[in-house]
Amino acid sequence: MSGRLATILSVLCLAAAAAIGISLMLGSVPVSPVDVGTVLTGGGDPLHQALVLELRLPRTLAAFATGGLLAVAGALMQVLLRNPLADPYVLGISGGAAVGALLSMLAGLATAVVSGAAFAGALLSTLLVFGLAHGTGSWTPVRLLLTGVVVAAGWGALISFILAVAPGAELPGMLYWLMGDLSHARHPGPAWIVLAIVVLLAWPLGRSLNVLARGALQAAALGVSVRPLEWIVYLLAAVLTATAVTLAGTVGFVGLIVPHMLRLVLGNDQRIILPAAALAGGILLTLADTLSRTVIAPQQLPVGVITALLGVPVFLYLLHRSR
Amino acid sequence: MSLVRFVSTRPGPWLWLLSLLAGSAVLAGGGAAVQAEIRVTDDSHREVRLAEPAHRIVSLSPHLTELLFEVGAGDRIVGTVSFSDHPEAARQIPRVGNAGQLDLERILALQPDLVVAWRSGNPARQVARLEALGLTVYYNEPRRLSDLADTLERLAVLTGSSETGAAQAAQLRERSRKLATRYAHRPAVPLFYQIWDDPLMTVNDQHLIGELIALCGGKNLFGELPALVPRLSREAVLAADPEVIVGGGSGEDNRAWVDGWRRWSGLTAVRRDNLFFIPPSLIQRQTPRILDGAEMLCEYLDEARARRPETAP
Repeated sequence: MSGRLATILSVLCLAAAAAIGISLMLGSVPVSPVDVGTVLTGGGDPLHQALVLELRLPRTLAAFATGGLLAVAGALMQVLLRNPLADPYVLGISGGAAVGALLSMLAGLATAVVSGAAFAGALLSTLLVFGLAHGTGSWTPVRLLLTGVVVAAGWGALISFILAVAPGAELPGMLYWLMGDLSHARHPGPAWIVLAIVVLLAWPLGRSLNVLARGALQAAALGVSVRPLEWIVYLLAAVLTATAVTLAGTVGFVGLIVPHMLRLVLGNDQRIILPAAALAGGILLTLADTLSRTVIAPQQLPVGVITALLGVPVFLYLLHRSR
Repeated sequence: MSLVRFVSTRPGPWLWLLSLLAGSAVLAGGGAAVQAEIRVTDDSHREVRLAEPAHRIVSLSPHLTELLFEVGAGDRIVGTVSFSDHPEAARQIPRVGNAGQLDLERILALQPDLVVAWRSGNPARQVARLEALGLTVYYNEPRRLSDLADTLERLAVLTGSSETGAAQAAQLRERSRKLATRYAHRPAVPLFYQIWDDPLMTVNDQHLIGELIALCGGKNLFGELPALVPRLSREAVLAADPEVIVGGGSGEDNRAWVDGWRRWSGLTAVRRDNLFFIPPSLIQRQTPRILDGAEMLCEYLDEARARRPETAP
């Protein structure tokens, strides 16, 4: 097991390095691989330095972190809810974040405030769903799922309302935020730290999660304390999702598809899936963001457009190939 | 570029821009002809400073491109955004994205000495990023006709052609003053201005088009609404029963929006055939051409006055 894990992770790490390298090289202004190397070692043309270090590097790292966060969050949600359609946004966390972000954009507040409001909205939604699902009765995945979906629908209505009353000048920014946009992401550091900590925390839970994925009764019979485990998983997924949407808005698709892709290729062992999702999600979103910056440059696309265009055929191929 | 090479050993990637600016200031100061620094206040009430007239300009809006051509600085624009289609020469300028989503890499690679930005039309965060990268940004936000003239003057100062700019601005002021003396005090014409069809949208009195309506002696029936570009129901227009309906269209010669009102034959505007079309590029872009649109509007309102029955007030 550990040998296989090491192989998989090394392959993915190499792929991740390649994806980051490609992302640093490509842009609407071409910079050769040699020049990127020179810049990264502290030299090079000042224009290349500005392009690579100031514009591309923060954005690439933000894309990678966002993809990783969402993929791990999706994997956790799918185990928690025992539902293959679950993604990081299914319980309304992104809706809460979107309402926070859009309201602060409506008020014309600064970038930092928009990010803060998004994070606050995500936390509020998390607590709301958690509290309501708890209710007076028992805390079951179905109850959690229904509560989350309905709360998400409520946020959706508020989002539509804000879009309807917002002045025209604000609309493009709001729509880009809702579609997922990395062009404003500047400080990926905290996201990387959250991603690393959560993966390290969740990895030891892998064996219990494997049992939980087969059903709560079986898990309980095998000595897993189901309730605390589910709470922890919910909390971890919420923190991951909140961090991701704070950085890049609601990038879709990664959180739903990457865990499924990995399960099709690697099998359903959470001890492998969770770290692999962190890397594979990062790779997918890094490549997608590179394309979104370059494919019809100088026009810039929101990354969410490319993620689905890239991921759908790959996923369908894997699904078709599997028995 | 020699200055750029000179600082290339420094580690900070933004330092070169600062050094470049500082360097050119030193050169200007140290040269035989000491040049006065150019200072202009922009529409964000900030002082924009240039050591010498801008030679490499990036314009982040079609209307700013047009204004730069007006003051004779069109050939200094090295990059602009989509839909910069007037004058004809503007179509040849390299693109740096659209006004709502900019390609920062391309802007940076053009190494402009001045970026003219549209405050309500460009993403604030992206423009702030350009400033953080060391570029000089002039923010423009024209709300009234007088702002247009001011913008012409300021852009002219920044590009070292203040005389052309002053003349253009004076001409603009004179034209709008003439229109106002001729039309503003004629009997008021209650009108509805349709700026978009689905959803139905109009403008209020604070909007630049609202000012043109007042200039022509029109009375904007929805001018009191709080939003600059309010969304309306068709019922609200039917209830207000405007004497005139004026609209743009999606396209330069598309009367479909205004003609759509013919379904309601009870409307005064329909009965008197007061459905007028003004090409959107003439009236919806903040450039001197807006006065061509204003002249059309004024003449249409006069037509509407002529169509009033004898007994009407």
